[in-house]
Amino acid sequence: MERREFFKKVVITPFLIPLFLAAKKTKNACELYLIEDNPEEFLPLILEELHDYVANYGHSFAFLNSHPHENDLRRILSQRGLTYTQAPAQADLTLSFSSLHEKTLPSFTLIREGRIWDIRSRKLYSLWREMNKNQRRSSCLTTVSFKSAPSNPLSGKYVSVHKEGSKLGMISLKENVTKSYRTRGGEITLRVKDGKAWVPESSCRHKICLHSPPVSFAGERIICVPNHFLLEIKGSRYIDTSIG
Amino acid sequence: MARKLCILLLASFILLPGCGVKERWHTSTILAFDTICEINIFCSSSTFKSAQEEVQRVFSEIESLFSPGADDYSSPLVLDLFQRALKVYQDSNGCFDITVAPLSQVWGFFSKSYVVPAPEQIKSALKLIGMEKIEERNATLILMPDVGLDWGAIAKGFGIDLASKSLVQMGISNGFINAGGDLYCWGNNPSDQRWNIGLKHPRESGFLGVLSISDLGAATTGDYQRYFVKNGFRYHHVFDPRTGYPAQGKQSVTVCGPETLICDALSTALFVSREPEIIMEKYPDYGAIIVDSDGSLSFLGKTYPFNPIE
Repeated sequence: MERREFFKKVVITPFLIPLFLAAKKTKNACELYLIEDNPEEFLPLILEELHDYVANYGHSFAFLNSHPHENDLRRILSQRGLTYTQAPAQADLTLSFSSLHEKTLPSFTLIREGRIWDIRSRKLYSLWREMNKNQRRSSCLTTVSFKSAPSNPLSGKYVSVHKEGSKLGMISLKENVTKSYRTRGGEITLRVKDGKAWVPESSCRHKICLHSPPVSFAGERIICVPNHFLLEIKGSRYIDTSIG
Repeated sequence: MARKLCILLLASFILLPGCGVKERWHTSTILAFDTICEINIFCSSSTFKSAQEEVQRVFSEIESLFSPGADDYSSPLVLDLFQRALKVYQDSNGCFDITVAPLSQVWGFFSKSYVVPAPEQIKSALKLIGMEKIEERNATLILMPDVGLDWGAIAKGFGIDLASKSLVQMGISNGFINAGGDLYCWGNNPSDQRWNIGLKHPRESGFLGVLSISDLGAATTGDYQRYFVKNGFRYHHVFDPRTGYPAQGKQSVTVCGPETLICDALSTALFVSREPEIIMEKYPDYGAIIVDSDGSLSFLGKTYPFNPIE
């Protein structure tokens, strides 16, 4: 499905728009809007997939209001190792129920960092399509708020390589490569493996770059002054620069 | 008619980006202050070129005036920075002091020979320390014999302030200059938000947390930046001007506030001082993030948005 079509289909459910606007203002890491008569069937699947992206979403859950499927949801979440608590303020995950004015196609929408999460490239998408195809319309909206921040908000994606004041290029952290660069000061080698980057060899005198621990978080960097060489990790929510 | 309008609209869309000079984000690195300095600004390509030259010019001037051994004591910039340094010296009860050069000397930090000096050597170096040994007379600094200046804990911040002021005057309204850990940022970042500045963890790889700031400077003093290890003990470059030994009790101090030169000097003063909260009372616009020697995090002074990373 084309991007525009995907968003059209998500946002076309007009009653969700005010909710999206509210979600933008919250500090929650992620908000899930699930329209489905039997949320307990789909919630565990969504949580499982979310684990990689909103991992560390904590272990406790609570209900903000009474939910028609509260018992089923409690059972299913407890089976997944989450603990029920009565105090929503302390819970990492809060669930609430609302009834829609009119019935609509079952689906779910995720809002992350104030934006609709485009899940088309994720495994979640097949689930979303499957639900959306279901003609059994529903008016049961379950909202789940994930309080804690996404895990590794800073984990990097690329190494950006700079030599003598200009950027040479980017290398994906998924790659497994060793590259050497000739510089005015001599030669420096960059190694990328297992999502980390480091300098295994350098012709410089003090070898500060060589002793720098491997970098993997967005914004982290290794600097070699004699070679006028800088490598920096870039990522989705990357830090603009770093000090210290 | 409708078609004509369409063509007109289309034409204006194609032409619009052509009008005026296109601005975009530019990044470059230059070598100065013994480190790689990073400039990231939003402007046109031609402005970027002059901005780079301007930063280079300012930094070269600061380096020539304030590097170890520099002896132009009547330049207006030197006199200006001397007065600023003197104020922090007084406010910090001598914890920040630009006369620590003889200590860096006996500990081998200038010659990079790194030795633990004999107590007598430290004692005689201590006799040369204290800003009362400098006098400003007829617009020139007069130093008592053998007194040496080390501007290392304030000059970089001064240079960044001067350079970023220049860039703002050139009409650049978003950007930052980061000179190896001393930084000034202004306006917004490329995502149109405050700048997110990662604070390096003093012991591990990764970050301690992220400062989200704008129109502010920040500087860090740490025991891990320049040090040597002898007999299993870490001797770093931040000396307590009163004992002559590397200051104890903290791993790093980061200060955030309106002027980078004050951040720079205060981070050293707080690192050395055993009563940093008394110093901070005199600087209500500044905030400090302190990592004690046991790794615990504490905050002093004004609160700036900081997200610690677990």
